Amino acid sequence: MNRQLTLTIERIDEAALQAQRKMSSGMGAAIYFLGVVREAEGANKISAIDYEAFQKMVEHQFHLLFDEMEKRWPIESVRLVHRVGVVKVGEPSLWVEIVAPHRGEAFASCQWLIDEMKRVVPIWKKPIL
Amino acid sequence: MRVSVHFYSYFKELAGSAETRAELPEGATIADLFRQLAEKFPKLDAMKKSTLVAVGLDYQTWDHILKDGDEISLFPPVQGG
Repeated sequence: MNRQLTLTIERIDEAALQAQRKMSSGMGAAIYFLGVVREAEGANKISAIDYEAFQKMVEHQFHLLFDEMEKRWPIESVRLVHRVGVVKVGEPSLWVEIVAPHRGEAFASCQWLIDEMKRVVPIWKKPIL
Repeated sequence: MRVSVHFYSYFKELAGSAETRAELPEGATIADLFRQLAEKFPKLDAMKKSTLVAVGLDYQTWDHILKDGDEISLFPPVQGG
């Protein structure tokens, strides 16, 4: 399984990322997930979220998750970009692409990856009012 | 033995610092370390139930036995995405 992980302070360029998609002829599904900063955090209206990451552990934990994905599903590739630093309301903080033979494993693995990310990958949010 | 401790997210505010060092007897566990840290940084004490602990880059449990030179990280539940 090909894997690409990027933590970046730069804005996520969806078009540029999609243009770099690689799919072999046996693959029938490419799915995308975009996580976007909402205008409310709990009861508070916010202007942005400041994301803090324990970078080395983030990379290690994501690669453990990718290892597990590879065991569970016949995925050809996963690419994931997560912003760090200040991300304004309306901007994407997370971009995920999964390429797989069929939609079932693509959707299931993407859901699992994001759920597990929220459980084990050491990234924290600090809302900015 | 000596270990280093790193705090992340709002644990830095609770401890008033991003990192500290601790001296522990041989055979000490993460729970022993936390007790010592809670004395030094009382605001951390109330957070024990929700605290996540890593040694190096891997999660560990409270009964994990530490060794000299370990780098321990303490932080609240993660919130990526």
